[in-house]
Amino acid sequence: MSANSMTDPRRPNKIFRYKPPSTDSNPTLEDPTPDYMNLLGMIFSMCGLMLKLKWCAWIAVYCSFISFANSRSSEDTKQMMSSFMLSISAVVMSYLQNPQPMSPPW
Amino acid sequence: DLRLYLLLTQVSCCQVWGRYNDDFDDGEDLAEFDDNDFAEFEDVNEDPTVEVESEPPPKPAPSSIPVEDDEDEATVEIEDGQDEFEDADAQDQDMYSKYDKDEFEGYEKTNSPFKDTLIYQDVPAHLQNSWESYYMEILMVTGLLAYIMNYIIGKNKNSRLAQAWFNSHRELLESNFALVGDDGTSKEATSTGKLNQENEHIYNLWCSGRVCCEGMLIQLKFLKRQDLLNVLARMMRPTCDQVQIKVTLNDEDMDTFVFAVGSRKAMSRLQKEMQDLSEFCGDKPKSGAKYSLPDSLSILSEMAEVSDGVMDSKMVHYITNHADKIESIHFSDQFSGPKVMQEEGQPLKLPETKKTLLFTFNVPGMGNTSPKDMDSLVPLMNMVIYSIDKVKKLRLNREGKLKADRNRARVEENFLKQTHAQRQEAAQTRREEKKRAEKERIMNEEDPERQRRLEEAAQRREQKKLEKKQMKMKQIKVKAM
Repeated sequence: MSANSMTDPRRPNKIFRYKPPSTDSNPTLEDPTPDYMNLLGMIFSMCGLMLKLKWCAWIAVYCSFISFANSRSSEDTKQMMSSFMLSISAVVMSYLQNPQPMSPPW
Repeated sequence: DLRLYLLLTQVSCCQVWGRYNDDFDDGEDLAEFDDNDFAEFEDVNEDPTVEVESEPPPKPAPSSIPVEDDEDEATVEIEDGQDEFEDADAQDQDMYSKYDKDEFEGYEKTNSPFKDTLIYQDVPAHLQNSWESYYMEILMVTGLLAYIMNYIIGKNKNSRLAQAWFNSHRELLESNFALVGDDGTSKEATSTGKLNQENEHIYNLWCSGRVCCEGMLIQLKFLKRQDLLNVLARMMRPTCDQVQIKVTLNDEDMDTFVFAVGSRKAMSRLQKEMQDLSEFCGDKPKSGAKYSLPDSLSILSEMAEVSDGVMDSKMVHYITNHADKIESIHFSDQFSGPKVMQEEGQPLKLPETKKTLLFTFNVPGMGNTSPKDMDSLVPLMNMVIYSIDKVKKLRLNREGKLKADRNRARVEENFLKQTHAQRQEAAQTRREEKKRAEKERIMNEEDPERQRRLEEAAQRREQKKLEKKQMKMKQIKVKAM
């Protein structure tokens, strides 16, 4: 047993706690995708709502999905949900105002 | 006129009866009526009425009049009867004059122009009872469903890979570290025994409580399998999952040197990006042929002695056997992360440094990894442990130490020179701020006596400063002489 403790590299008295790396010191290491996608999603859904463009609203839905998929677990779910709801409402409003199907750009 | 009216009414009755009764023999029925009136129509009525009755009811559009030469009169009469039935307010007199027998002969000819001027209106797409017109929407929804499916599948795959990695490395880690797994939030420093999930594709693990090091942070940086866009992008440009290990050391655990080895691309990239590598390892990455490393790897080192010290036989053995999995290995006592770009041009203070060992490994499989591949990374973890112990023992000889110290002094001096102007400016502004604050205080003093005294004190201080400066100048001049 004593031989084991000699070769055992573990030292319970030398434990340091985990400190999450602060993002202020390394802004370049953070992935900006979820924030960009969030912003894009909001812009597209506002466009879709104001200008009554269906394709804008659909792209907004996609953007909010992409933002959700790339988000960090520490991020607020409220923000995700709000952008998601906004894009869904943009789609619904576009169809309520103009039930015609979307015409392809070609 | 009256006779005609009766005739038409009776014919239309006939016709209506006939429609609902196929076996109805019109001839017999007609025989019931006044022969005089219907004599002319008898023959004509039998055939066409039967024929017409067996036909489906006429179309609602008034223009679709079946044109049959023989049954001109009969069909027109039927139409006539229909008109009579349908519009109660019909101008009967007009209709009789329009559809008078004698006018029938030219009927087909006058009929055709009506058909040419017909315009069929398009029913708006959303009022049609067909889903086909919404094909773009269906496409969109299908795309969304595909995205969601991919999210679930990708998330699960990443999670399984992470768990597989942890399972294969758990024993090794637990035998080397007292604390395996910590998220920093619990009050007691107990091993959580599981990975922290930062993202759907990044997992990390903190290990601590070992000789020769402060702690080890392992980051499993998997590919973004949960994001369909990323999956599609990776089809163009394949990348692989990475495992990044960062070992932080106490001051006594490592001598002063900077060293890196890894793939050529990684080395040239790191040399540009990393603060310490760019400052201390100025030369281009050298080939590792001296240590019989494969060609794909190159070395960045502060001095040759360091390379010789690090590249002992066991390290070389590890690196050569797993060269394909090694992206970069970076030992440094001056590690401060990548170069920081500041708006003012240069940071005012030297960045904080920490003695660190960094390892970046590529998971084999180039994206198509399976949980089994994680076992092949265990020898690399052994190498990490070996490196920790080795670095503790590695000491530069006297010459090397001198060189290293000189290097560090040089770097610091350069830094101070570059920021000299800026620091002077900063000091100047600080002095001016102090003066202004003092003046403000003097002005704000209500009591004139105190004001005068403060002013005098400030003046005296200024005088003293001037005198000191003059003294210094004189001293310099004397020395120069």
